[in-house]
Amino acid sequence: MDRRSFLKTSAGAVAGAVLSSSLAAALAQGGLEGEDVAKLDAALQKALGKGYKDLEPSKDVKLVAPTIAESGANVPVEIEAALPAEEVKAIHCFCDKNPTPLLFSVFLSGVAPYYATRIRIAETAPVRAVVETKDGKLLLASQSVRVTVGGCG
Amino acid sequence: MPVQILIRFNPAKPKAGDDVRVQIVAQHPMEPGTRKDANGKTIPANYITELNVIFDGQTVAQIRPTGGTSANPLFALKMKAVKAGQLKVTYKDLAGDSGEKTADLALA
Repeated sequence: MDRRSFLKTSAGAVAGAVLSSSLAAALAQGGLEGEDVAKLDAALQKALGKGYKDLEPSKDVKLVAPTIAESGANVPVEIEAALPAEEVKAIHCFCDKNPTPLLFSVFLSGVAPYYATRIRIAETAPVRAVVETKDGKLLLASQSVRVTVGGCG
Repeated sequence: MPVQILIRFNPAKPKAGDDVRVQIVAQHPMEPGTRKDANGKTIPANYITELNVIFDGQTVAQIRPTGGTSANPLFALKMKAVKAGQLKVTYKDLAGDSGEKTADLALA
C-alpha cells in the first residue's frame, strides 16, 4: 500500500470512528447520568403545566455547560436558540436533582433568544434547557454535569 | 443592604446593527434556603426573585431566578444595537429589598 492510499483509508476509518462515537452519544441521550425524570416531571408540571413527555428534544436549542464542574455552587451555563427572536417566548432551565429543580425562567421580548448565567447544581445530574416558543412548543436540550462538590448544602 | 448592580456592554460601543451582549452582575448572596450555618441552623432563603431589564422604556427581559442561581449572579442577554438608549434594571428579592440601576448604551 502506498502512502497516499494509506492516508485515505485511515482518514476514512478515523471519520467512521468519530461518527459512531457521536452516534453512541446520541443514543445515550435516553439515559443521562444522574437522571431523575419523576422529579423533573413534577417540577415541569408546577412551572409550565406540562410533563416531560410534552418536551421536544431539538437541535435548535444549544446548551453550553461544562461536563465536569468542580464546584456545584457556580456553574456557567449558556442557552441559545437558533430560532427567530420573535418566535421565542421564554427560556426555562431545570436541573433534575436540585431541591428546587426550576433554576430560572426568562421571558424575552425584542432581544435575541440567548441567556447566560451561573447556576447551582446539588449533585451530578442533567441540566435541561427548555425553550418555550410563541406557538406553545417546548424545545429541550439536556446535558449531564458531573459535580464533585454540591452547591446547595 | 442595598445591592450593588453592575451593567456592562460588550463591546462597550457597538456599531449600529451589531449584536451587543448585556452583562448584569448583582452582588447578592442568593441564599437558597438549604444551607446551614456553623451552628447547624438553616440560613433563611434570600434570593432575587425578579429582575426586569428595560431598554428605552420597553421591557426586553423578565428574569425570574430561584435559589438555583449562584451567589453574585451574572445575567447575560444579547440584543441588536439599533439605537442608543438607556438600559434600566430593576430587581426584587425575598427579603423585600428592591432597587434599580441604569446604564447608557452608546453607539460607535
